[in-house]
Amino acid sequence: MTEILRADQLSFRYPQHSAGLEPVSLSLEAGEGLLVSGPTGGGKSTLARCLAGLIPHLYKGTFSGTVWVGDLRTDQTPLWRLSELAGLLFQNPAFQMLAHSVEEEILFGLENLGLPRAEMRGRLEETLAFFHLEDFRARSPHTLSGGEQQKLALASILARQPALLVLDEPLSMLDSTSALELIDLIRDRFSQGTAVVACEHRGEYFTGLPAMRGVYIGPPHTGAKSGLPALPPAPWQPSGCDLLAEGVTVELGGKMVLDNLSLRVRAGQVTALAGRNGTGKTTLLRAFASLQSCAGKMVALSDGLEEKPQPGLVFQNPDLQLFNASVRAEILYRIPNPDLSWYAWLIEALELTVYEHTPPLLLSEGEKRRVALATILMRRPRHGILLDEPALGQDARHKAILIRLLQELAAQGCLVLLSTHDLELAAQTDQMILLGSGGILAQGPSREVLDHAAAWQAAGLVRPQWMVLT
Amino acid sequence: MKRRGKPTRVPALVESSPLRRFDPRVKFAASLCASLAVMLPLDKLAIFLAAYLAVMAAFRLLGPVLRQIWRIRWVLLFLFLGDWWLVGLDLAVLVSLRIAMLAGVFTLFFATTTPGEFGLALESLRLPYRYAFSLSLTFQSLNLLGDEWIAIREAQKSRGALPELRGWKSLLRQVGDLVSLTVPMVVLATRRAWAITEAATARGFDSPRRVAYRRLAMSPADWVFLLCAVTPTLFLWWV
Repeated sequence: MTEILRADQLSFRYPQHSAGLEPVSLSLEAGEGLLVSGPTGGGKSTLARCLAGLIPHLYKGTFSGTVWVGDLRTDQTPLWRLSELAGLLFQNPAFQMLAHSVEEEILFGLENLGLPRAEMRGRLEETLAFFHLEDFRARSPHTLSGGEQQKLALASILARQPALLVLDEPLSMLDSTSALELIDLIRDRFSQGTAVVACEHRGEYFTGLPAMRGVYIGPPHTGAKSGLPALPPAPWQPSGCDLLAEGVTVELGGKMVLDNLSLRVRAGQVTALAGRNGTGKTTLLRAFASLQSCAGKMVALSDGLEEKPQPGLVFQNPDLQLFNASVRAEILYRIPNPDLSWYAWLIEALELTVYEHTPPLLLSEGEKRRVALATILMRRPRHGILLDEPALGQDARHKAILIRLLQELAAQGCLVLLSTHDLELAAQTDQMILLGSGGILAQGPSREVLDHAAAWQAAGLVRPQWMVLT
Repeated sequence: MKRRGKPTRVPALVESSPLRRFDPRVKFAASLCASLAVMLPLDKLAIFLAAYLAVMAAFRLLGPVLRQIWRIRWVLLFLFLGDWWLVGLDLAVLVSLRIAMLAGVFTLFFATTTPGEFGLALESLRLPYRYAFSLSLTFQSLNLLGDEWIAIREAQKSRGALPELRGWKSLLRQVGDLVSLTVPMVVLATRRAWAITEAATARGFDSPRRVAYRRLAMSPADWVFLLCAVTPTLFLWWV
């Protein structure tokens, strides 16, 4: 067998903080795969960047050890040359789109290989056909769904036919169907002799790939669920309002996103909103938060009285909300006479106490998400909280912290509605609403909805084998 | 819900416009010629503007041109009233028409040219590829930045950092709110720029082996269009 990748005592440390990559050695042959798991901040993305050569070329810090891709040593080879052997797929597909059309996106990488035009044309057509992207060739990549964008990003890399494929959290933004499609594509690459390294929290999706072996990096396991102590009762008595939508219709850019949708979300429960990318989960949350104009009725119901809904919405991207100099200042920003017992409870429940005086923008993604949630909760939103994909890119421990908090708030009578394509998280909620392109396909206790095979089929969502079995 | 605070945007691509198929260099030259018309005196400028709008209507671009002008309506109104009050009606009309003309002329180019074509045009003008690529990406990213600005406003509003206030109190508060909008904007723009750099580098950006798949070539129709664009401007200057 041909050795494609070898890393010896590879480590990296960023200059301004301690996070980085502890020494790791690994090797990979053609047609082999490696699943890298570990907690958020454990160094998975750093490892991916080291293997593809972006570290040390684009990042400052202390790099030690060696990485060989084929017969090229990464720290001594220009990046353009390394990229011919190693392709790197990033976590956020929207940030990888470089061109104005799908076709140009694929051509960008082919042009940089210096291929003759006829060969570029051949590879372009072959790639478009293989990834079923022919109908999208003239479309702007920014108009594609998250799943389609990730597929396009992978297509753009694989058109270059690299011997090594490095994937940095490739599934984090994908629904289960898109995730399993990506797994099928990786399986196909194994048969072509490509070596694959995947850094991923949602490792359960890779269990169907026998060529994949696992490696754990980062601090030792901390006991994601069993290690968390129970929370004391929250010092907040929410109003206990339900949210009601009747005949809600939203049209965006000529496309009907929500069509005559009616539902009631009850207070005192954690409700998950599931569905394929693009079925209107975020739009529904935005409509409840009065950020999206819509036709139909959208109210908060309390003791038979109807009010304009005023829930707090936690956005998918925490960077939209954070700007203060410390976590404490961020959470208490412009709150007159803040209840400090509520503040203390929140930072304790969200495990933010040690970061109280740290600038939020220096925190990890998981920590930033928890700060963003705290900023919303600190205001005690009148009609509950809405969370848009709160588990995005989170490890098991972060998810456990999140679900523990949400369950406690629900126990106090708060309305909690979250959108997610993370079925492991959805399975831990009380209620679930399954959205399809035509509206609600199933609604009820989460366990029952998860078992409703026909609804999942109608939604176009594959229930992974691991989920059905558990 | 009305979205406020939207920054000025690049016009959306009008695929149905007959100008879509012309060489981007020709369209850029035509826009430049039209922009020179702002130096004309009032009577000729009025004629030129009327003719320009008629041509834009023929090319199915009247809507985007008028939208661009509408976006700066408050600036136009302010200048018009200020000039009228300080100098006179003639100057007020002239200055307003000039600003409106400038706002509208480059719609001809931006509403019919993709960022990729823009990059090719720059390359054919001998700009090194790395700069041409960066400029075309900037062109492409302007609308994305606009979307992010809106998302930041909504996120801050959702956490109560942008309360709905009216009158002078609102104005003063909005100055204070700038930091809650600009810090996330800078962070997001930096992250996007860095992510794009990584993505481009991971696909061989800056390779000395690069071969462009597409090249620009002037067709007879392009030459005719260029002639049609340059002649009226020269004529107005001459007469």
